[in-house]
Amino acid sequence: MRSFVIVALIALFFAGMASAQAETPTPGGSAIVILGSDPEHLNAAISTGYPIGAVGANLYSALLYLDADGAPHGELAESWTVSDDDLVYTFTLRPANFHDGEPLTSADVVYSMEEVLAPNHGRFLNAYRAVESIEAPDDATVVITLSEPYAPLISLLTVFDAPILPRHVFEGSDPLTNPANQQPIGSGPFRFVEWVRGERVVLERFDDYFLENALLDRLIYRIVPQDVARGVALEVGEADLVWGFYMPTADLDRLDANPDVDVWRGLTIPSLYFVFVNTDTPALSDARVRQALMHAIDREQIVEQAQGGLGEVAAGPFGAGFGYAYDEATDYRTLYPYDPERARELLADAGVGDLSLDFVYDSARGAFAAAAEIMRDNLRQVGITLNVEPVERSVMVERVYGRQYDLSMQSFTSSGDPAIGYHRIYLTAEPGTNFVNATGYGNPEVDALLAEAAGLADQAARAEVYARALEILALDVPTLVMFDELSTQASAANLRGLLTRLDQRDGLEFAWFAQ
Amino acid sequence: MSRARGSKALGAFALERLLNAVPLVIGVIVINFLLVSLAPGDPVTALIGEFPAPPEYVERVRAQYGLDRPVPERMVRYLGSVVRGDLGFSFANRQPVLELVLERLGRTLVLMISTVVLATIVGVVLGVWAARRPHSGVDRGATGFALAGYSIPEFWLGQILILVFAVGLGWLPAGGFRSIRADYVGWAAVVDQARHMILPMLALSFRYMAITTRLTRASLLEVMNSDYILASRARGLSERRVLWEHGLRAAALPIITVIGYNFSFIVAGSALVETVFGWPGVGRLMYDSIFTRDYPVLLGILLIVSIAVILVNLLTDVAYALFDPRVRY
Repeated sequence: MRSFVIVALIALFFAGMASAQAETPTPGGSAIVILGSDPEHLNAAISTGYPIGAVGANLYSALLYLDADGAPHGELAESWTVSDDDLVYTFTLRPANFHDGEPLTSADVVYSMEEVLAPNHGRFLNAYRAVESIEAPDDATVVITLSEPYAPLISLLTVFDAPILPRHVFEGSDPLTNPANQQPIGSGPFRFVEWVRGERVVLERFDDYFLENALLDRLIYRIVPQDVARGVALEVGEADLVWGFYMPTADLDRLDANPDVDVWRGLTIPSLYFVFVNTDTPALSDARVRQALMHAIDREQIVEQAQGGLGEVAAGPFGAGFGYAYDEATDYRTLYPYDPERARELLADAGVGDLSLDFVYDSARGAFAAAAEIMRDNLRQVGITLNVEPVERSVMVERVYGRQYDLSMQSFTSSGDPAIGYHRIYLTAEPGTNFVNATGYGNPEVDALLAEAAGLADQAARAEVYARALEILALDVPTLVMFDELSTQASAANLRGLLTRLDQRDGLEFAWFAQ
Repeated sequence: MSRARGSKALGAFALERLLNAVPLVIGVIVINFLLVSLAPGDPVTALIGEFPAPPEYVERVRAQYGLDRPVPERMVRYLGSVVRGDLGFSFANRQPVLELVLERLGRTLVLMISTVVLATIVGVVLGVWAARRPHSGVDRGATGFALAGYSIPEFWLGQILILVFAVGLGWLPAGGFRSIRADYVGWAAVVDQARHMILPMLALSFRYMAITTRLTRASLLEVMNSDYILASRARGLSERRVLWEHGLRAAALPIITVIGYNFSFIVAGSALVETVFGWPGVGRLMYDSIFTRDYPVLLGILLIVSIAVILVNLLTDVAYALFDPRVRY
């Protein structure tokens, strides 16, 4: 018996050693990552497109990065300081080289921000409105001075919103048509090798990277246009990684059962699903009718059936991703439970009967179609007829932001800070600008509170301001907030070192293959 | 002597047809341009991406691509540049359209031509086989196959083929036009690409095999019942010579027509099949361009496809003359 225990212990010891050995990151190999469509080009500084960001994240570098929990760390910036009045940000740069061997200096940072990002990059542009000047007092120092405090600035200095381009390649040319947009030169962990449109983009490890070198020899982005073909590519070993953005949720259960595939579900970048309500529609201008809609729609059922369980019923206008922008007192799950009876009462109070509403959505979003069917059924029970209108994306954008709709399902993300992606949904806006407030809702008090919140770096102070805004929004209900989406990804079981950054697309220099 | 005169007349005929095609191509450009411009959806929205661009920024982008000009002015400009051999600049890809299309045209042509060849050979053989023994088991099988081919959509068949041969049996790759994990060279690369082509080619050709089978059978049955076939048999020719030399030659005309006709439909089918299999050809570029409202690319592809269809029709007419001595120009 004793000898058996000893043998077992020895066996366990070796087994433990073997698995520890297997888990030591080993360099080498090529990982194939799926993209759903070709990037339009490979200049991440002039586009916010998803595939461009996916390639750009590993090809370019930026002042900062956000770790898996969303906390900022220095990338090109070795350190940074913020003045007491929250107006002056001073960054000290590490020595770094571009892929063509030229050194990266503060002049490249200033050039990229002022000449390329500010006029051409949608999200950076929003931050740039608060910028008074960007200066380079010496080669290793960048000073950004703001005209008013703007808390989300730090979240906008990552490779997705402020990648640094080589000034010596771009200066004096039109950044929109520079040939380097097709054959990019960055300073990230991987360098560009080739791009065969419609097929693949190939990157290889950059051995002169300013931080620890990547483990993989090559990073190959393979373009797989059809969504069901992406899970299949993973199953048959023709790909190693596919992000939830490109995965039909219906395929996840099948992949779960495959021992060669790892499926991950979790919350990284908050993504919130809404139904916009057009307050220009007479019946919908009454807040009681909007409250009735909240009570009438069974959000649990939508999450379970339309979303395949990959979501959580949303707690409020800014979702669950930011603790300081949530207040228990205005939690939508307790304020607006599924209650058709209450919905009918509210509609009767508002004097609304026999309502017929047009529900517009992007026909490419399969989950929206299922949600629309559930909503049609839900609303019929309170006497509202829903006319479901799936339209092509570009038509949807025209209809919704031109306010030619009654209800429309949408999803928004807000990487790092609610002020980046979510404020615009509630701030007063004129019709005609895309991807802002399309509901026609406007409340000067909410506008002032949100502007104040965006200027506060202190989270406790911000939470107080948000609580006041949430109180108003909870009664006005300009959007029907549905659910927070869970992020997913599926990868080859032997591919390790993933999910090291807030955005799944970033940080692939840490990925490696277990033997 | 008479043969020389015949080929000269054929040359003149071909030239005349080519010249007639010029106004046709211009008409195609004008109609396509109007259709594309009048369709709902704004290319600038697709171009800018998903962020709240201020109106002045949107207008700047619009002006940059000349989209702020009225439709007739843009059309005249476009026609002018097409005449100079310039198909414009892709909004979405930030690349000249001609470069973008040519890069992919070869891959689509390889797929299309092998589809036409496969569909024609299989279709004619099956059709002849069926026609020789009408109402036999072979004939019933061929007719059943033809019916199935008519009714099964290409994209569905493509997915089933992937499930069976790539996921289930693991015999063939599931998508793409070559292996991405291994970089093959020489013959290995040719074999690798051929393996990737089998499933898309099958998915795309099934329908046209069916059409050709049915048509060959019907046409040959009609010819084989005619008097001159009876006369050939009476003269004591072998059944094989009667069928292949006299029967099939006369029955070939409708088959040639349908090959030309199939070609234009295969172009449309390739957009779907290329999407299912991730085949980086022109069909998929067209599909993507519709979603991004990338007008110059869409127009460029439609133009090249129209020219190809016109050329194939011309070839069909020439083939008529070669096959049927009664056709004179």
